Amino acid sequence: MRSTQVASLVAAAMLLAGCGQGLLGDGGAAQQDDKAPIRLGMLVPQSGSEAAIGPYMTNAAQLAVEEINAKGGVLGRQLELKAADDACDAQTAVAAANKVVTEGVHVSIGGYCSGATLPTLPVFGKANIPMIIPAANSQELVDQKLKHVFLINGTGTQQAESATKWITKQGATKVALMHDNTSYSKDIAVRTQPLLGDKVVITEAVTPKESDYSANIANVLDKKADFVYWTGYFQEGGLIIRQLRQAGYKGAIMVADGSVSPKLGEIAGDEAEGVFATMTPIPDTLPDAKGWIDSYTKKFGSAPGPYSNQAYDAVRLAAEAITKAGSTDGAKVISALEGIDGFAMFSGPLKFTPEHTLSAGGFQILVWKGDKFALQDALS
Amino acid sequence: MTQLVWNGLFVGSFYALVALGYSMVYGIIKLLNFAHGDLYMLGAFSGFAVLSALGGVSAAMTLPVLMAVLLLTMVSTGLAGVVLERVAYRPLRGAPRLSLLITAVGASFAIEYGMRAATGPDPRVYPVRLSGTSIEVFGARLTLQQLALIGVALVLMVGLNLLVTRTREGRAMRAIALDPRTSALMGIDVNAVISRTFFLGSALAGAAGVMAGAYYGKIDFLMGFLIGLKAFTAAVIGGIGNIPGTMLGGLVLGLLESFGTYWLGGEWRDVFAFGVLILFLTVRPTGLLGERVTERV
Repeated sequence: MRSTQVASLVAAAMLLAGCGQGLLGDGGAAQQDDKAPIRLGMLVPQSGSEAAIGPYMTNAAQLAVEEINAKGGVLGRQLELKAADDACDAQTAVAAANKVVTEGVHVSIGGYCSGATLPTLPVFGKANIPMIIPAANSQELVDQKLKHVFLINGTGTQQAESATKWITKQGATKVALMHDNTSYSKDIAVRTQPLLGDKVVITEAVTPKESDYSANIANVLDKKADFVYWTGYFQEGGLIIRQLRQAGYKGAIMVADGSVSPKLGEIAGDEAEGVFATMTPIPDTLPDAKGWIDSYTKKFGSAPGPYSNQAYDAVRLAAEAITKAGSTDGAKVISALEGIDGFAMFSGPLKFTPEHTLSAGGFQILVWKGDKFALQDALS
Repeated sequence: MTQLVWNGLFVGSFYALVALGYSMVYGIIKLLNFAHGDLYMLGAFSGFAVLSALGGVSAAMTLPVLMAVLLLTMVSTGLAGVVLERVAYRPLRGAPRLSLLITAVGASFAIEYGMRAATGPDPRVYPVRLSGTSIEVFGARLTLQQLALIGVALVLMVGLNLLVTRTREGRAMRAIALDPRTSALMGIDVNAVISRTFFLGSALAGAAGVMAGAYYGKIDFLMGFLIGLKAFTAAVIGGIGNIPGTMLGGLVLGLLESFGTYWLGGEWRDVFAFGVLILFLTVRPTGLLGERVTERV
């Protein structure tokens, strides 16, 4: 008597568990209900030091989602964006990744801070969810050769090569590299240094989130540098540019893509004039993005910013791959992504290398003119 | 070399201004007010709000206008400090020390993320910037604005010291620091004096916030966190609870950072500065000018 009761309880429990899986699980929902939305997970910083970048990316992704939905969606299903905050912090990012996985996302299209994106790779990998990473670009992300990880931003190596090209072209002989010791920033500095060889007179690490960098700047001036390359983010970048100039530095200054933001110029003030940047194409330097910028501005009341275009492209790319795969199954979407050749994106036609990075980094040299970055040299 | 000394003194005077509030509050009610750095942030933001409301300020008027804004901000940040004490700390006056400490940490987060909710996470840029002609003094490059800021900081610190050592109010503060209960028996209104202490300490932090905003240009809701820790360190170096010691501690920390960066490079700066601090405290746990052995948390 007792054992049958237990058995029926177990059976009931299994039934419940089965139901739960059907509602929440990945494959189950897709097969049972062809009308359920396709969910795209997006981890970006919405709080913390890099919080400013989050809305640029989620807004652009939302714009792409709505445009695709207006045209009938993907495979007859609507797209749905599930954004979560990674706070540019490893622990928060892992928790957020687990959250969106349980929400049943089919493709991940987030990732801005490399240090926060790195620990989420196995979370998505285990759930068999392909990741299209729009902004994070540390070499470490692809060093593990994970099958589900795709980068649509140029890598640290590619950025270092472009930076070296421009620094050499400018005839600089005493280069100072400055980074903030984070995964992304150090990656670029460490990869630029051997390319420039003994032209690098100093590699200076600063503490992020401070206001006064005069001590670091004194070191740079002490080595009589004639070219400073800052590879960190824009908040410190703006302060460093301003303080370099105030300390009497006359040489060239260049920043990496993490510093490309309108805020950089605001913080640096007049001193930003003539500052170079290594950056993948941004809305302002894209020849045919005018209409896109207008519709973004109209919808969100502010202009798109850094990585808006990559986030927008990540959604479109995910939709394209799912359409090609004819299903939301992880493995099928991954092979569809690998097979993509010539898909039109802001950065040019897309084709992934065997290690799932862009075949051309697409880094250009921008220059700050008046109140925004403009194209200086396409480096092609 | 003189440049390094100058850089260190300049940064150090900010640390000292913020550290004073820490030190005064600790001196009087033995509370490590971890929300103190956030009052510095509040000061920077309220200065920003006033300046933005004023609209454009002509270049010639920059300094007088900034001084007026500075005073306004000191009052508003001081009041914020009083409210903080009334709401978060006074109900816990009799509670164990640890509860107070945790409350202070909680208050810090509440102010930071409250500000984020109110103004958004984007960093703001001050509408008025202090930047101008630089002059060479003994081989060091400094600007008149830096001199003005240090001057303001000095005036505030000397004024505070006079207030604490020469006035009735100051005597009441010192009496409470020694023994709150006896002070109450002697007819001192303990709560009122503690409120005024919070007002003064917070006003100084607010002044530092406005000055940092106008000089560096960028403010954000987390700007108080790091400087709060540094100010706490400065207060401990100098002897927490002791006002001249705290000022000295701020300057010493600024110099340690400046020279640490020069000798060992940026990534070793904090290792150097805080290594020296640990060594120093093992030799002299009361800090540079701390006279009596104070309880530490």
